[in-house]
Amino acid sequence: MASSYGKILKDGLLVENPIFRQVLGICSALAVTNLVTNTLFMSFGVTFTTALTSFTISLLRNYIPVRIRMIVQVIIIAAYVMMIDILIKAVAPDVHRFIGPYVGLIITNCIIMGRAEAFASQNKPLPSLVDGLANGLGYSVVLIAIAVVREVMGFGTILGVALPARDLWWTQWTIMVMPPGAFFMFAIMTWIARARLVKQEAS
Amino acid sequence: MNKKSPAYVLGFMAAICLVFGTGIAIVNYATQGLLAKNAVMHHNQVLCRAFDLPVEGNTAEAYQQAVDQHLAADNLDGRVIYRQTTPDLERVGFIFSGLGFWDRIEGVMVLSSDLETVHNLQFLDQKETPGLGARIEEAWFTDQFKGLRVDWADPGRARVIVGASPDPAARNRVDAITGATQTSMALGRFLSEELDRFRDAYLAATPPPPASSPDESDQPPPHPP
Repeated sequence: MASSYGKILKDGLLVENPIFRQVLGICSALAVTNLVTNTLFMSFGVTFTTALTSFTISLLRNYIPVRIRMIVQVIIIAAYVMMIDILIKAVAPDVHRFIGPYVGLIITNCIIMGRAEAFASQNKPLPSLVDGLANGLGYSVVLIAIAVVREVMGFGTILGVALPARDLWWTQWTIMVMPPGAFFMFAIMTWIARARLVKQEAS
Repeated sequence: MNKKSPAYVLGFMAAICLVFGTGIAIVNYATQGLLAKNAVMHHNQVLCRAFDLPVEGNTAEAYQQAVDQHLAADNLDGRVIYRQTTPDLERVGFIFSGLGFWDRIEGVMVLSSDLETVHNLQFLDQKETPGLGARIEEAWFTDQFKGLRVDWADPGRARVIVGASPDPAARNRVDAITGATQTSMALGRFLSEELDRFRDAYLAATPPPPASSPDESDQPPPHPP
């Protein structure tokens, strides 16, 4: 079982990465990646919600009526997202002021329902929890990589801290802060990652 | 039990809604006290920043104490205004709000007692696009308002201008945010409207200073005994 957990983790993080392989959760990947701090909290929210939702759906998989399974999944996802939203607002109000608009977006993230449908509804709770966690982490890794490039190029900062002597040598690329910047970075990252995967599969 | 029967489907949905609805309600109820405390602390923090009040520590009590010591709140026609009671620092501030690009923007503007100069501007709440319109909260943007002149004589009622202006050197103008034109324009528009409303209410409630006779004004100040 240990090796299968390892495979689930590896699939979520690399081989079947939700962003560049399954092309899920693209909306928020494009929306939140102009600042690394926002991306970190969004990644935490998505990972937490994906893991818990997959676990819960798997627990209930034998009782959920097939015809309304998607409605049930949305209710469960929305409930976890609302709980996370309230908790962040109570515990870290300053952080919530930054990422509040994004937290609600987690409900519409395709990865969560995608994993609930593709994995959790057919597997036991613990592997489903690991699968949710792996896919959340796979999403996070790609988003953080995109955000680092966009924040450095767009603002000349990293996690809000300015690059050394930024004003002397760096011209900020405003387009990297705006939506087109996300499209460019997403396309380049997907190209690199898929080219590597195709090469590995061929060899 | 037949999972396809309407009774099962309805019962299952009702149970799911009940369980998860209760979960959300419990989390919300458990954090109510914290949320209310956070809201008060944030309001006081913004007031302290806007009026440059000295605060000892970073606790809710410290901010409350600073506000209680240095500010007096008044209600003018439903609008909350704050007068600074610190000796030699006569400033007056008011809560403004208006529609931004996505939602309401709320903040505090502090003016000199003659209402001619902006001392500071800070935001209480905004939901503009993160990374673009939401940058109105950043110091480089709000710092532009420090020392800004309010143009009460402008025929177009543009008391302050955010963005382009026929006169780039106008003393009531600040730079807009690149990529957030709508937020910047909305801010300039409603700040000017709010300034007009505030001045009308403030002047109506503030009695003019007693006119001194020429004889009195010519007299030298009394010597201390």
